[in-house]
Amino acid sequence: MNQNSPGHWNISRRQLLRYSGVSAAAIGGSSFLVACGGDDGGGGGGGGGGPQSSGGRLVHGATGGGAKDTLDPHQPVTAADIARCLNLYEPLLIWDNNYELQPALAESVEPSKDAITWTVKMRSGATFHNGAPVTAEDAWLSIRRVADPKAPLSAGGQLSQIIDFQSSKVVDDATLQIVLKTPYAILDSLLAEYTLGIIPGGEFDPSKPVGTAAFAYQSFEAGKTSTFTRFDDYWGESAFLDELVIQDFADDNAKVNALQAGQIQTLDNLPYNLVDTIKGAGAGVLTAEGGQWVPFTMRVDQAPFNDVKVRQAMRLIVDRQAMIDQTLSGYGSLGNDMYAPLDVAYAKDLPQREQDLDQAKSLLASAGVSDLQVELFTGDDIGSVAVPAANLFAEQAKAAGVDVKVTKKTPFYDDDYLSYTFAQDFWNTRNYIPQAVVGTFPPDQGGTYNETHWDNADHRDLVNAAAKEVDETKRASLLHDAQEIEYNEGGYIIWGFRQQVDAYGSTVQGLEPSKYLPLGNYGFRKVSL
Amino acid sequence: MTQEATLPDPLAEVAPPRGRSGGAAWGIWLARRLGLAVLTLWLVSIVVFLATAALGDPVRAILGRDYGTNVARREQLEAQLGIGDSIITRYFDWLGGLLTGDFGTSLANQQPVWGQISSSVVNSLVLVLLSALAMVPLAFGIAMISSHYRRKRPDTVIQTILLALAGVPEFVTGILLVSVFSTTVFKIFPAVTLVAPGGAPWDEPKSMVLPVLTLVIAVTPYVSRIVRATLLEVLDSDYVELARLKGIPEPVVMRKHALLNAIVPGIQVVSLQLAWLAGGVVLVETLFQYPGVGRQLVDSVRNHDVAMVQALSMIIAGVYIVVNLVADVLSILLTPRARTAISS
Repeated sequence: MNQNSPGHWNISRRQLLRYSGVSAAAIGGSSFLVACGGDDGGGGGGGGGGPQSSGGRLVHGATGGGAKDTLDPHQPVTAADIARCLNLYEPLLIWDNNYELQPALAESVEPSKDAITWTVKMRSGATFHNGAPVTAEDAWLSIRRVADPKAPLSAGGQLSQIIDFQSSKVVDDATLQIVLKTPYAILDSLLAEYTLGIIPGGEFDPSKPVGTAAFAYQSFEAGKTSTFTRFDDYWGESAFLDELVIQDFADDNAKVNALQAGQIQTLDNLPYNLVDTIKGAGAGVLTAEGGQWVPFTMRVDQAPFNDVKVRQAMRLIVDRQAMIDQTLSGYGSLGNDMYAPLDVAYAKDLPQREQDLDQAKSLLASAGVSDLQVELFTGDDIGSVAVPAANLFAEQAKAAGVDVKVTKKTPFYDDDYLSYTFAQDFWNTRNYIPQAVVGTFPPDQGGTYNETHWDNADHRDLVNAAAKEVDETKRASLLHDAQEIEYNEGGYIIWGFRQQVDAYGSTVQGLEPSKYLPLGNYGFRKVSL
Repeated sequence: MTQEATLPDPLAEVAPPRGRSGGAAWGIWLARRLGLAVLTLWLVSIVVFLATAALGDPVRAILGRDYGTNVARREQLEAQLGIGDSIITRYFDWLGGLLTGDFGTSLANQQPVWGQISSSVVNSLVLVLLSALAMVPLAFGIAMISSHYRRKRPDTVIQTILLALAGVPEFVTGILLVSVFSTTVFKIFPAVTLVAPGGAPWDEPKSMVLPVLTLVIAVTPYVSRIVRATLLEVLDSDYVELARLKGIPEPVVMRKHALLNAIVPGIQVVSLQLAWLAGGVVLVETLFQYPGVGRQLVDSVRNHDVAMVQALSMIIAGVYIVVNLVADVLSILLTPRARTAISS
């Protein structure tokens, strides 16, 4: 799961946190997707209100980007790549602003009762930028490109393992039948990743990229600027803007200055410390709930954390609100040592864990480690939140008599990664099942990044059963039990989830916050000036 | 220079002897300087190559955790970098490429290096040259005014301001300029350089103003202070005194007798500053989002793009060497004693 394109792993892994990047999969809302056309062009965002008017040229300032920039729909890395990707290409289904599945190029994606055979009905009337209609053949070839078992691209890690390529077939122009090797009830969520855009014949031509989204390719220079024009034959409501420019920014200050000077109209990933500057300058700030987290990771197979009492004591030491206030400037929501807060199955009913130093001390005493000393590994390459959070944790631990020695490593992600007894890591917005697989399963069962060396057969069985369960209620109940095990015994300290903060100029209308990706999933189609 | 003080007009007096021997001597001298420049460049190439090679295995750095698993990509990168060959073979392959104008292929995106850096090199050169064009007259002008009012109030004020400016890092200057001229106070100039696809930064001249101004403010104080010091020394000399006693008007004294003799140290410090600008524009380019070599170098280092880093380092080194060579030639041409020494 979650194998990125060859050679891009280190970079993308680090950037995923900030860019809310590749989430491998998620549980969808309904498996029955009713075609409902495009969303309404809402009027939120830019304070102006009033009716939106067509025309104009919007320049978006994207964070990062460089010589490695690509227009390849299936291997975007930076925020600039993702913004381009979402405005050029579309997958079969797509996550909406509430992190729920909506139909895009498919009108419906339905499983059989055993979740083995999935039928994709293509949208009628959708055309590529070159005028050709979108067929099931295009969709299948695009999926094959992404899920090539020999070299799966970023969205294809899981797909390449579960799709039965021999039995799957294109039934007719409008129907695709995907057959799986094992039941997988959330295949639809894998098909909704923005890294699975449908392209003609599944072939990417860098000199003339063709997609189906509301903007068509005009020009592209890696690390610099790319331009797009409105696609008038878009199957949904066409964009308001005539032209969209996506400009790479290597430096945060340059980006913010450009917005203040009116040279760009939107920017993603506004640094928290500049929020007040932007507001003071009359520009707008777009804040959205998110599911990204920077946990402390305790190895459950090594002393002292092999004793569940010690793990629980550590979880009781954290002052979660203080963590959010100090490391995220308040732009975060409370964590409860469970991940995937945006999943419909998130166990909201379990009591919120709060700092309780007395209980922590007594747990440590009963574990026989009243004068606990631990070394906490951290590093700048985890993200800007990591080191301040580690230092703050060391402070908070003092009050419970625990001596935490913070060791900053450069780089953190070296050969020792996944061997640290006590460390940090970052994770991106994902739903529960894919996150549980990649983060808590043994490596040979898909747990590529199991930092805590968590190996719990009961938990695993529940997750595997849920992945095969088509009935949503039953699935949620299985997942609730799985989460409860981790809540009581797990090796993560999850103190909070980061909010997404972006900014836009005073002339911009139509932006809505999204839990999935920055700037309302880079939804420039709905934006007007 | 003061030894020549008895000569009424140093420049007119000792023109180099015209003729074959003089020309040949100049030719030999130039050839020697060029040879030295090439030698320096060659030594630099060894240093650059060894330094980039000593950074460890670039393939491991690029692939990270995939190093063990992604064999195909590893082999492709190793073949491209010639990892199997000895370091000497690799060096000469690379040097051979450089000499034939082939800078290699970028590891980040598999495109030829030169195609990617050529426009950045031009952009940076234009930025530096514009800054130099604005900076040289300004620095000399300030120095002349300052030395004219030597140790009077205007001089004190100017020197204090220059010293203060010299102490401020250029990115601070840049941030201040941006907040004054493009974001907070006025909105006259663009805050960053946005280049249309296929265009150049100077397509919108206004966007060049702040980057150039920042660089000018960064280097003018140094140049101006050194030229002023030299001017003061010359103004105190006997021959300037004699010129004044002969009744030559003060502006002429300043222009012909003083400034011309103070120009050589000026050229040296200008060249040093220009060379510094060639490599030191990174901060300014980043701040103003200017598409030049500095930004590209940072990006390439981040990507472990060895070929790009090598090419950019060589180009920056080349600019250093060329600027110094030009400065030396100019200095010699403007120093009669040295000129005579060569041609005779």
